[in-house]
Amino acid sequence: MAEIVEENDLSSARERLASRQAELLNALLANGPAPAGFDEQRLGVERRALLSKRRGIVRMLGPAVADELGDRFRPLFDAYAADHPRRAGSRAREDAAAFAEWCRACGELPEKLKARWKFWQSN
Amino acid sequence: MAGIKDLGVGIGWRSEIDLTVERLPGVDFVEVVAENLHIGHLPESVTLLLERGVPVLPHAVSLSLGSADQVDLHRVEHLGAVAEAVGAPMVSDHVCFVRAGGLDSGHLMPVPRTKDALDVLVANVKLAQRNLPVPLALENVAALLEWPDGELSEGQFLAELVERTDCWLLVDVANLYANARNIGTDPERFLDEIPLERLAYVHVAGGEQHGDIYHDTHAHAVLPQVLEVLDELCSRVAPPGVLLERDDNYPSDTEIASELAAIRAVVDKHRG
Repeated sequence: MAEIVEENDLSSARERLASRQAELLNALLANGPAPAGFDEQRLGVERRALLSKRRGIVRMLGPAVADELGDRFRPLFDAYAADHPRRAGSRAREDAAAFAEWCRACGELPEKLKARWKFWQSN
Repeated sequence: MAGIKDLGVGIGWRSEIDLTVERLPGVDFVEVVAENLHIGHLPESVTLLLERGVPVLPHAVSLSLGSADQVDLHRVEHLGAVAEAVGAPMVSDHVCFVRAGGLDSGHLMPVPRTKDALDVLVANVKLAQRNLPVPLALENVAALLEWPDGELSEGQFLAELVERTDCWLLVDVANLYANARNIGTDPERFLDEIPLERLAYVHVAGGEQHGDIYHDTHAHAVLPQVLEVLDELCSRVAPPGVLLERDDNYPSDTEIASELAAIRAVVDKHRG
């Protein structure tokens, strides 16, 4: 009986924590509203730090795309990231590929670049 | 079980510096990022280190044990498999959450220091421990922001976690320094509050001050102030090991060697 009560307590703790964590990540990654009680300036610092880390990883995984975009890489990536927060379970390489695809769809990258990557990927 | 003893001074093995790690003098142990290894084909450099008898400790970054969600046992299983593949005496991850609400932050986010968060963390850690072949050590993370309603200090939170799960602690002195700068953690109080007899080993890393924020980048030199926190820790306990983490913007072998030497000097100063 005590164990059942404990498990119920735990599942309500999980629910409360889940909504708080989701609210924070939604604010940091998906332009959601600032959760109550947080320092807004620090939320901004954290938001920029997470974006910068993600941008750096995409740059490292797709140097050809970053080179091709040059100065446009950063503003374009930041625009892409705001509309496409990384989903749980997705991989960094998928993020890099989705960004390149998004750039092509926006006309920011020529289609031919795709063929060039295939050349230096093993196949 | 007794803790792991006398690991010495080590460095985080990364594929970008594999040859550096192999030829640097005075690398007593290494850590590998578990998510980057594949069972069945370990990097040749890691195999070489194992053949030399260098302990290799798997360090995970994605278990998200502080998440409200249930633990992803596939990730735990992979960590355990890496531990077995390298014959590790211990594995580690962080006191943090990575994913929530279907999103992935790509980073080690701090958990609120509340009873709810502690209860969930404890349950997740216990489940992970039951599914791991070796003991688990958990690391304090660097935070850029503070949850509004913390009920415990960082040290009290970790002490409770150890008390309730019997996990080991991996104390990152750079993260401790970062939190002192950014969210007002008192490093001495932190070291007073955690059970030092459960210290597995210590991390040291570099970072950079931007305005009023210290960023734990692992891409810059180790600050003297971080070595001072290590010094403070060593004045209380002889750490079983101390490991340098460098993840980007890799410097020359000479610079890495001198950072390792600086770490060793601090550790040796306290050994009679």
